[in-house]
Amino acid sequence: MKISVIYICLLFIGFASFSARAQEDISPERKLAIDSLALEKVRDLSKYISIIGNKDTPFSEANRVIDRAEELFAAGAEIGVSSLTTNEITYYQVRGYFEHLMALNYDKVSIKWYDIQYISDLEQQPDGTFVGVITIYQRFEGTSDDGLEYKDTTKKDITVFVQKKETQIGGRIIDFWDVLLGDIRVAETTT
Amino acid sequence: MLLLCAFIAFGAGGCKAKKEARAAAEARAERIAKARADLLSVINDQGSMSTDEKEEIVQGVKDMNFQDAEIQSLIERAEAIIADERAAARLGEDRTVTTETGPASESDLNNLFRNVASARNTSDANSQIRNALDMFASSETPVLIIISQSGGQTDYDEPTTINKYLNYLKDTKKSSDEVYNMVFDANGKIKELELIKR
Repeated sequence: MKISVIYICLLFIGFASFSARAQEDISPERKLAIDSLALEKVRDLSKYISIIGNKDTPFSEANRVIDRAEELFAAGAEIGVSSLTTNEITYYQVRGYFEHLMALNYDKVSIKWYDIQYISDLEQQPDGTFVGVITIYQRFEGTSDDGLEYKDTTKKDITVFVQKKETQIGGRIIDFWDVLLGDIRVAETTT
Repeated sequence: MLLLCAFIAFGAGGCKAKKEARAAAEARAERIAKARADLLSVINDQGSMSTDEKEEIVQGVKDMNFQDAEIQSLIERAEAIIADERAAARLGEDRTVTTETGPASESDLNNLFRNVASARNTSDANSQIRNALDMFASSETPVLIIISQSGGQTDYDEPTTINKYLNYLKDTKKSSDEVYNMVFDANGKIKELELIKR
């Protein structure tokens, strides 16, 4: 019995010290830089989505941009798509979403994101990963030569993960902050 | 009661020790930052320093005996440059400049980034990118982007390649980074680029 209690205490101490190590003490200046980095990745994604959706973008360029955009996401992330004509929200795998976007049946597509901001600040988890939620508003306008027109504004919430990783470059070890986007959930859709 | 007294006594001692440790850590971080800047001045020097001066700076940093991986790596790079210069001096050759135009300068690169970001259209941007890639050892040349330098700590964004970075400027139409450090190969081409967020 005594031995079991000692084992449990040792396990607890070990876990506590692991958590303390994983949770790096980050100064406010560094935290601000990490916050900005994650916001910047979401802004980059908005530019990529605009390029992919734009019917004037050459096919090869759109595919290259899809590759870059896909790299922003964590494996298995999903993106929600809504419409004013239905209450259903369809969730696509990231690559599938971009391909769907590129193939939209309009002759002209304009997608703009605005009011990009944190609704839940990046908070450090026991394993050292920062997790937060960024909200965006997306204005979608699609028009066809035959006069068909669809417009909506969607509020979307994006989960953001920021993790410290390391890599070797030119013989030296570089610690870097890896920002990965998680699911993009539809919060509301309006005209 | 005894336990409480012991806790208070150890707690107060612990606070003082923590403060001292923090002050020592800050002082060490400052010394490391200074050493890093000195070593980078040796690595990036374009002819303003003699080899002897470089050797003196590197020796000064080595004497401080930092147990820091980045400093050790910078020392190795600086020593390699010094060794190259000594070898070139023995052969009566110039160390780096083998291209007709010489190595790229920081302002060349900063202007280039701005030009790609503000290109009129995709084909104009692609043409600028093709020309720009001539300045690099390869399209896969690593690019590091510093997002913060605070308290002796350098934080980086995920490393990328020059090809991806130039296309990123084209796609996002923004150029918010400046050259912080360049490493050249023997042909005067950039083989590693370090940028810093403005």
